[in-house]
Amino acid sequence: MLLAIFHVLVFPGLLFLGAYSFLLEFVDRKVYARMQSRKGPPWYQPLADMLKLIGKKVIVPRNAHKFFFAALPTVSLAAVCAAFLCIPIWGGTAITAYSGDLIAVLYLLTIPTLCHFLAGYSSHEVYSTIGAFRTLTQMFAYEVPLFMAFLSPAILAGSWSISGISAFYAAHPLYTLINIPAFLISLLTSQSKLERMPFDAPEAETEIVGGALVEYSGRYLAYFRATAITELTAIASVLAALYLPFSTGTPWLDFVLYLGKTFGIVLIMVLLRATMARIRIDQTLKFFWSILTPLAMAQMILNLLLRGGLGL
Amino acid sequence: MSDREKNERNHKVVVPIGPQHPSLKEPGSFKITLDGEKVERAVVEIGYNHRGIEKACESRNYIQALYIIERVCGICSHAHTSCFCQTFEDLAGLEVPRRAHYIRGIVGELERLHSHLLWLGVASHEIGFDTLFMYTWRDRELVLDLLARIGGNRVNYGVNTYGGVRRDLEPELMEDVLHVCDLLEEKLKYYADLAMTESTLIARLKGIGVLLPEDVKKYSAVGPVARAAGIMDDIRVTEPYGVFREIAVNPVTDDHCDVYGRTLVRVKEMLEAIRLIRIMVKEIPDGPISVRPPRKLPVGEALSRVEAPRGEDIHYIRSTGADAPDRVRVRAPSEANWHGMSHMLEGFQLADVPIIIAAIDPCYSCTDRAIHLIGDGVNQLTDWAQIRALSIEQYKARGIDPGSIKIREF
Amino acid sequence: MNTEETILALNQHFPALEAVSNHPLRIFTVFTTPAAFEEALHFANLTLGYHKGKHIIGTDEGADIGISYILSNDEDVLLVLRERVPKSAPNVRSMGELYPSLVLHERELVDLFGVQVSGLPEGPRYPLPDCWPEGEYPLRKEWNPAYFNKQTVTYEPPKEEDAK
Repeated sequence: MLLAIFHVLVFPGLLFLGAYSFLLEFVDRKVYARMQSRKGPPWYQPLADMLKLIGKKVIVPRNAHKFFFAALPTVSLAAVCAAFLCIPIWGGTAITAYSGDLIAVLYLLTIPTLCHFLAGYSSHEVYSTIGAFRTLTQMFAYEVPLFMAFLSPAILAGSWSISGISAFYAAHPLYTLINIPAFLISLLTSQSKLERMPFDAPEAETEIVGGALVEYSGRYLAYFRATAITELTAIASVLAALYLPFSTGTPWLDFVLYLGKTFGIVLIMVLLRATMARIRIDQTLKFFWSILTPLAMAQMILNLLLRGGLGL
Repeated sequence: MSDREKNERNHKVVVPIGPQHPSLKEPGSFKITLDGEKVERAVVEIGYNHRGIEKACESRNYIQALYIIERVCGICSHAHTSCFCQTFEDLAGLEVPRRAHYIRGIVGELERLHSHLLWLGVASHEIGFDTLFMYTWRDRELVLDLLARIGGNRVNYGVNTYGGVRRDLEPELMEDVLHVCDLLEEKLKYYADLAMTESTLIARLKGIGVLLPEDVKKYSAVGPVARAAGIMDDIRVTEPYGVFREIAVNPVTDDHCDVYGRTLVRVKEMLEAIRLIRIMVKEIPDGPISVRPPRKLPVGEALSRVEAPRGEDIHYIRSTGADAPDRVRVRAPSEANWHGMSHMLEGFQLADVPIIIAAIDPCYSCTDRAIHLIGDGVNQLTDWAQIRALSIEQYKARGIDPGSIKIREF
Repeated sequence: MNTEETILALNQHFPALEAVSNHPLRIFTVFTTPAAFEEALHFANLTLGYHKGKHIIGTDEGADIGISYILSNDEDVLLVLRERVPKSAPNVRSMGELYPSLVLHERELVDLFGVQVSGLPEGPRYPLPDCWPEGEYPLRKEWNPAYFNKQTVTYEPPKEEDAK
């Protein structure tokens, strides 16, 4: 019992999630800065930013719904934490592994986006309303290819649990190669889910001043920021578990491998962020619906056929 | 029924962009009426930066007026003084030495480089391409450092004076100018290549903010906005002045008529500026750099124009024979490009608004100078008290003691 | 149409304008009445092809206000057409329909010289702030910036009794 609580709260649970998120955010910012030939922040900058933000005064707009305004950041952070507990970090199985947890994780990771929308909509401000609607529009654009891309490896593996999928591909490493298109699609859709360049139209600061979270301040904004960085960690971990499930069998070596894989995924995401301009929301829609969705569908059908054909 | 009620009934949203907004580096207000994401109507309100410069010039003598004119714009300060000096010289009948013309030309083209690099950075920031923004502003530092060495300051160089220039270019400085040109040319070619191949950049810039050739004439747009529509209005070509009477400028135009065309025009103009600087540095003649100007101008008026980085700059001086101008009028190029702004914005998306506004390169003030060197702990910032102490020291060295003079506290 | 042709055409139709040129690409005319000016401006636009409205320069002519319209054509000749209106009743008509680019400069005339421009399209004032005192026109020569209070945005010239 005590060990289970330790697993959930400290390692590989929430404390590890927090610490590792700060580290990944630092990597994200530092590499981004170096790519732009800037100096970049020191390693403790993400933590310092967070502490400073928590200490700031909270201003709630007069015509916003008080309860929702305060509850949304907490709910979205909690959802990401819950999702993270279903991802295997140490020793092949997650803390709360159950069959079908991949679906649960995907739905839990949708909650922050919905919270963003509600936060923007309940702020009753013109920029945040536009940002909220862009968030929702973009969600409708990426959600379909994202689900299909994330479920394709599951179909091939014949398991709906992340730990199960990992175990399957660890046993049959060559099958991972089939999922490479799905991996690329899910990288792009994740970028869009995290509202990072080039899909950051919902929070474009030069157009709508930061979008849905314009009215947020103090610790509520800090929770939303924490959501964003933990979501990055969670998604990088899911990607690593689904598409790069190589393992050695030794827990600590697997853990080092996990760190390497997530670092690699974050580096690709930074590269995407640094080399592209922000595309408009209508271009985003067009890109997801007319290019990525058919591709993701093709991958899914391929995996279904292969599963039947290979006799798994 | 008020406008607001009308809009609410029609489900229209009015988005205020400015006077304070992250995409505007200078106060200006744009009331954008939205239908969904589409801009239905745009009302431009400017004038937040009106400083009364023309009135200020009328009540000061010509030398003082020149320093005020230098501060009309934070970026193209040299173009404004060139134009003002040219108008003055026209009225006074002064013959400016050839070397002075060349130095004006070199500084003017360096200024065009730094202005267009600044624009490229701002434009890429508006479309969320921060990497290009950082790259161009890093490269712009090369030009700014050079200008600081020529004139002692990064943006208000104070090179021009009536009848010539105040600073000569030393041979080693010209070597460095050529060196910077080499460095920049390589990078500019890369940016030109990037502008023509990077797909997200093209997707964001192409087909927005369209101003067709007939609209350019109707709204009398100038500079890169006109040239992107294929209308050659470069004053260096149509009415050559100064050094450009001797050195021909290759006209740069484009036929995209949109923001993308304006980007290409500016990038190509930078490459052309580098070519011109190289020729000017090679051909610069020896001789005096200025002639003595009169203190008073004869009765009369003159209208003169110069190609500033943003387009045609028109200055007007009317003299009644006194040592101060009777009327000074400045038509900065940005002013001419505001007329077509509503037309350019309407029908496009809200996401395009910042980049369309930025595409005419509205004048920003960036006169602040703050360098904090990383690492060695040297701080170059000097506060007011330190400056005063330094100047008192200097005067003391010359045998004057101004220490007892009381100055008003600000 | 180049400079010589323009001068010839203008002087033929409007001898009162006395168009002259001191520079290959400049044409100046003398100040005339609003009626004669408007006729000349329409002529310049419709017949001579001066389609670009470049600029408007207001000047203080003592008892009058001089308004110089700078027009341009495809050959980049700058044509300066002028009119003169009395300061006591400075009324002119907007040229915004012929030259949309001059509207902004006409607004400037309204704010800085107190010229009443009829027919201006609706829109925000330019360039003075909304709180600027009524009836104060800063570019008229009698307006002295020394009497302007920046804090209260009021113009307080000394009364004549005080001056004595």
